[in-house]
Amino acid sequence: MRLLWAGPKGTDRSIHPAHIFVAFLLAGGAALGQSSLSPSAQDWPTYNGDFSGRRYSELAQINQANVDLLKIDWMFRIEGIGPQRGVGNPVIKSTPLMVNGVLYFTIPDHVFAIDARTGARIWQYDAEDHGGHLVGQRGVGMYGNWLYFMTPDGWFISLNAKDGKERWRKKVADEKLQYFTTMAPLVVKNHVLIGVGGDAMDVRGYLESRNPETGDLEWRWWSEPLKMGDPGSETWPNQSAMDHGGGMTWMPGTYDPELNLIYWGTGNANPVFAGQSRKGANLYTASIVALNPDTGKLVWYFQASPHDTHDWDNVETPVLFDAVIDGKPRKLLGQGSRSGWFFVLDRTDGKNLVSKPFSGTGNWAKGVDAKGQPIPDPAKEPKVDGSMIDMPALGATNWPPPSYSPQTETFYLNGTEGYGIAYLYDTSDQPEGYGGGGGGNFDMRSALFALDIRTGATRWKHEHAQGAGMTGGVLTTAGKLLFTGDSGHFAAFDPAKGALLWDQRLTAPVSNGPSTWMLNGKQYIIVGAGDTLYAFTLARR
Amino acid sequence: MRLLFLITVAICAFAQERPPGSLREFLGLGAPPDPAAAKKGEPLYQANCGGCHGQNARGGQAPDLLRSVTVLHDEKDEEIGALIQKGRGAMPPFPLSQEAIHDISQYLKLQVELTANRGTYNATYSAQRSQTSGDSAKGRAFFEAHCRTCHASDLAKIGAKYPQAATLQSRWIWPARRELPHAVVIVDGQTFEGSLVTLDDFDVALRDGDGAYHSWSRTGAKVRIDDKLAGHRALLARYSDDDLHNVTAYLAGLK
Repeated sequence: MRLLWAGPKGTDRSIHPAHIFVAFLLAGGAALGQSSLSPSAQDWPTYNGDFSGRRYSELAQINQANVDLLKIDWMFRIEGIGPQRGVGNPVIKSTPLMVNGVLYFTIPDHVFAIDARTGARIWQYDAEDHGGHLVGQRGVGMYGNWLYFMTPDGWFISLNAKDGKERWRKKVADEKLQYFTTMAPLVVKNHVLIGVGGDAMDVRGYLESRNPETGDLEWRWWSEPLKMGDPGSETWPNQSAMDHGGGMTWMPGTYDPELNLIYWGTGNANPVFAGQSRKGANLYTASIVALNPDTGKLVWYFQASPHDTHDWDNVETPVLFDAVIDGKPRKLLGQGSRSGWFFVLDRTDGKNLVSKPFSGTGNWAKGVDAKGQPIPDPAKEPKVDGSMIDMPALGATNWPPPSYSPQTETFYLNGTEGYGIAYLYDTSDQPEGYGGGGGGNFDMRSALFALDIRTGATRWKHEHAQGAGMTGGVLTTAGKLLFTGDSGHFAAFDPAKGALLWDQRLTAPVSNGPSTWMLNGKQYIIVGAGDTLYAFTLARR
Repeated sequence: MRLLFLITVAICAFAQERPPGSLREFLGLGAPPDPAAAKKGEPLYQANCGGCHGQNARGGQAPDLLRSVTVLHDEKDEEIGALIQKGRGAMPPFPLSQEAIHDISQYLKLQVELTANRGTYNATYSAQRSQTSGDSAKGRAFFEAHCRTCHASDLAKIGAKYPQAATLQSRWIWPARRELPHAVVIVDGQTFEGSLVTLDDFDVALRDGDGAYHSWSRTGAKVRIDDKLAGHRALLARYSDDDLHNVTAYLAGLK
């Protein structure tokens, strides 16, 4: 079923949509069936718009027939902050939440609330820089009237959505150990789920559930088994390797209310390129894990890059969708992995349906094991004089969000092809930190990929042979449109065939995942490009 | 075009190869270690600490100090100093001077820096980056068969130009272009030639032989580019790692 509330004019403004969203899920009414994956087509109340991570909207006011009439309605430019430590001018990587006519979005250390109709600033929250990496900030989470935000230096902060006043803060990660926090907290039932980043020193990844009212810890899931003898510890040589094994949880996961499972991607193992002190598959790094959101207990896992030695964080969104496979309706999970492979799993038990490289031939693997997981080829691990793989050293895709459209039953992502070399520097039996490096992104070609969920085959590809490229994430809509960034423009494509239908030049390349919602009967498309947020609506509406 | 591409890359994943200072700022590693104090600290460390904590401070019978919360939290010797002077658990107190403590502390912080700040790796691992296991004779044979047609003599001193084998290897596999590619654009029957400035789904722009800038919409413009890297591109899928190392060994000897 689908969560419906009256259209914008009939919306009871005294009841907060985000609260309804939560209450609805608490009531257990949310079947994550195909018709309910967008419980809030009017609003955009979570990082991915809904729990599925599909970034598909049922809205169709803007569609193929009228997309030519899309125009910039307003722009909001971040001013007065200046260059941020180590990263330069502000770049919007967050996806704004839109709840009750207000947009909430972030850059590292700053939260903005702006009028969704006009782009006028309502309030701004500024944290001081006290360390951590300012590489990105993905946005806020919302529960009732409360927002949740993470600063780079490991503070988990609750704000009042009305005025941006701080309610409380909790220290959840130690930036001095090179942890940092960038993710948009994910609210699932009455849990606020937060993950961490950081692989410069060798620390353990973890995911936490925090109480939405108090911020207190409810459970913590560690990316590695806690002690030798625990399930998964057989994939590590010793306790010390597990204690320093990495596996960061820096992107928001997804949730299936019917199965009561959250799905999370974990980052690369540590030491990053030097794998000699952590022989074995190194569970549960570079994996997709399914956890119970009430207990943090692991239900199943699928490892995308066993014994990763290429810095292939597997945090790309585990996207949930339903489809009929061989005549049977299936509950599925798809992921375009940084390791260059596309995976489709049964999300009830993690059983694999598709494992296929979309970038290169997957020559770092010798095939797949019985679970469908790639088997890393030791000959392609980093070497002192270099080992070449047929995908770029920086990975085949990254955090910019992918999309799944039920109209086309196709998975879309922005990715790169090419070749790369991995080097091993620290050959000792006690490597630490990176211990090596990726050297080269040869003949790198950026492309928008449309992947068949049944075979993993590339249905079509919008490719750039020269230096131009795709940027940001992907949004698909019931208006038979796909929005993403293309070489400094914001562009709309036909999701079925890949034809470029519309574009608008922006002041910077698209830097976040586009999103869409309705306000006062008007559909808006929102996208961030550098320091500016753009709102698009149809002309003459 | 290239600028845009760089931005794209920067959005996707921040570049690993940044100047050490800028990367240290990005990583938030705090005040840079004082190399002079660290140098004085090294023998003090080895004499007093290395026996238990390991010669490289990465642990032995006593804990790894690069991963030590005490070391990583310390700002002005306050935590390291207290621990050295008072001892902890099995570790006895070491009655060292403030100066000696400071020097040891700087030595430890330098080890942390050399591990956490990968911008320093190029220098630290220069020897490894200069190694290649390749067979120069086989590399020469490969070069004669696949490269000599285009590179008759221009690489005669390339080994001297790139003393690090790893840098040389990346460079010869895919030479990052310094000059913009040459392009021909035909619009409304008119032909323009010059250095390509922009080429994407929407626009094409070039600088002609006189340095004048021209731009057109891609709609209706025919673009032809001299792909100087076509030979390199075609070979990428054919290399074995041995081919790469062999050719690198051969080119490294051209000095």
